Amino acid sequence: MKRTIPRLAGLIVAAVVIGAVPVFARSSGTMTDDHVARIRTNCHLALATLSQIHANDAPVYVNRNQTYYSISAKLMTRLNSRLSLNGYDTTELSKTAATYNSDLADFRSAYKQYDNLMDDVVRIDCTKEPVGFYDKVADARAAREAVNDAVAKLTDDINRYRSQVGDFESRYFALPGEKKS
Amino acid sequence: MNEPSVSESAEIKPWYRRELTIFIAGSLIIAFLLVLVSMALYNSSGAAQLDLSRPGYQSVQSEVEPDTFEGFPSDGPVTRGTLEQFKQLYDTQTKPVTDKNVFSPSALDGKALGIDDAPVDE
Repeated sequence: MKRTIPRLAGLIVAAVVIGAVPVFARSSGTMTDDHVARIRTNCHLALATLSQIHANDAPVYVNRNQTYYSISAKLMTRLNSRLSLNGYDTTELSKTAATYNSDLADFRSAYKQYDNLMDDVVRIDCTKEPVGFYDKVADARAAREAVNDAVAKLTDDINRYRSQVGDFESRYFALPGEKKS
Repeated sequence: MNEPSVSESAEIKPWYRRELTIFIAGSLIIAFLLVLVSMALYNSSGAAQLDLSRPGYQSVQSEVEPDTFEGFPSDGPVTRGTLEQFKQLYDTQTKPVTDKNVFSPSALDGKALGIDDAPVDE
């Protein structure tokens, strides 16, 4: 027991040191004193802007998430079900709907990560930790880009599904004189 | 008749004293653990991101739009008219989410925030 406590303490210290090295190396390698001073001077204004962005993102996410969900549950799934019940082949439409649902899960996960990072950014004392603040902003920017990419994928899925419904209509319900796809 | 000794008087304290202490401490520990589990679920499930009653979000609560969309009926015959009706519903519902750049990373650009490496007056 007497030996266990110093060993545990040693392990914790080692873990902290190993964990801290990459963060320190990442920032101090490229950052000049002037840059650090500039961050320290402007960070309160930056924090106010970031807090505002963070607050504005929340309703955008809630509304988008709700709309994305209703597109899947109240439109895609229901049309696929109706077409299947009437004996039509819905393989392509079902594939796109499955991709859309998977991309929707990615969107939620990406936003969650971004939201957590923004929480960390707005809580940081930027005058005491200007380098840490700068790094956190960079992480949040990358996470925001991931959210934006997820949105782009969902938009592509939405457009693809719409186009497939058009193809389906042309294939099975072409008007006289209309070319069947 | 002999008076009870000090150690004997310590033993005759009410029987429920020890059990009550264990019961209260146990209840507190269980309540604490349940709070930890519920907070972990709240965060991991993504519910936190949808909860605008969190501090700092009250001002934007009114911007959330209620979901009144009823959707497309999942049963019934399929005709060209049905598909036209679907396309109309689909276009209306997807229109508000077609903007791809809503979470543009440029909003968090170092230059925009004034924390980039450039000198202030150049």
